[in-house]
Amino acid sequence: MGTMASLRAGACATLGACLCVAASVAQSDPPPTNVPDAITRQSGLRLEPMSRPARIYALNCQGCHGHLGVSVPEIPALAGRIGYFVRIPEGRRYIVQVPNVALNPSSDEDIAEMLNWALVTYSRAQLPPGFRPYTAEEIGRLRKERIDVNARRRQIVDRLLALKQVPSAKVLAIAPAARY
Amino acid sequence: MDPIVGPFDRLIESLSRTVARRTSRRGFLQRGSAWLVAASAMPLLPAARPVHAADPPAGGKPARKYASAFANRAQTTDPTQCNYWRYCSSDGYLCACCGGGPSTCPPGTTPSPTSWVGSCINPDDGKTYLIAYRDCCGQDSCGRCSCLGQEGDMPSYRPQVNNDIVWCFGSSSMVYHCSSAGLVGLVD
Repeated sequence: MGTMASLRAGACATLGACLCVAASVAQSDPPPTNVPDAITRQSGLRLEPMSRPARIYALNCQGCHGHLGVSVPEIPALAGRIGYFVRIPEGRRYIVQVPNVALNPSSDEDIAEMLNWALVTYSRAQLPPGFRPYTAEEIGRLRKERIDVNARRRQIVDRLLALKQVPSAKVLAIAPAARY
Repeated sequence: MDPIVGPFDRLIESLSRTVARRTSRRGFLQRGSAWLVAASAMPLLPAARPVHAADPPAGGKPARKYASAFANRAQTTDPTQCNYWRYCSSDGYLCACCGGGPSTCPPGTTPSPTSWVGSCINPDDGKTYLIAYRDCCGQDSCGRCSCLGQEGDMPSYRPQVNNDIVWCFGSSSMVYHCSSAGLVGLVD
């Protein structure tokens, strides 16, 4: 009797182990996450490796400007906008001389690569015909100059409007900072 | 019979007879083989098998596998602990301890539209991921699970990458509740 009972117990344990393996194989049909993490194992999130300029943008700009180049009203949108600035030489310089670009710890090469990527990714339609990508040498030269950001920006927007390079002043307007 | 050895001898004899009566050799074989099969099936299960750090050297201190000190003692399973891998640069109360998750805000708070982005090494695959440190705003400080990770944290004159700042800019309220750590991207 005891022998039979333990025989059955042994068979059940073996069967159980097999069923367990079979069940786990059946469950793994949808592609599982590629991030080893407690949360992504449930969500099944898959992440593809980012390109180098996208990574530089993400680490230095994205937190405020957003991953689509648009954020809250008080942070200037990049999408559909930054291409206008490179239509005139002073605007092309301005994009590099805004403090968070000029003073960023990234190298000249990284800034050039990121700016060229951001211009094409977020504002391709506004780029002038025959747009020349920034070079590291140009970035290194331009980022040394300190500017009065608000005053310089007003000058450039006025010049773009005078030259009819922007449809209206509204396109490049910045919302006043919110009161907290 | 020897008066000293006798009782001892009888005790041993009765014990071994009891064992012999109650157990069967085949029963032992069956149980033993069942365990053997179960144990050999275990490695087939698709349980996560983390890349274990190299064995500690003879000196006693564990080997430094990654350049990041945080990643060397991080884990990927419990987001309510300070050493959960995504918190390598998180400074504040963990949203996972406050009714939210590592990348979700607790009810009654709003995720800030702005954040700062850092990077952490996942100790299980050794890859670097970008993490958005997004504060949840609109309620008083949660006060649970206070953690301080300082990987890549810069002084406040580099505010984009500083974790002492309340990251509630653009939110309807600047009142800080807790810190979340959302996955943004994979680097390599």
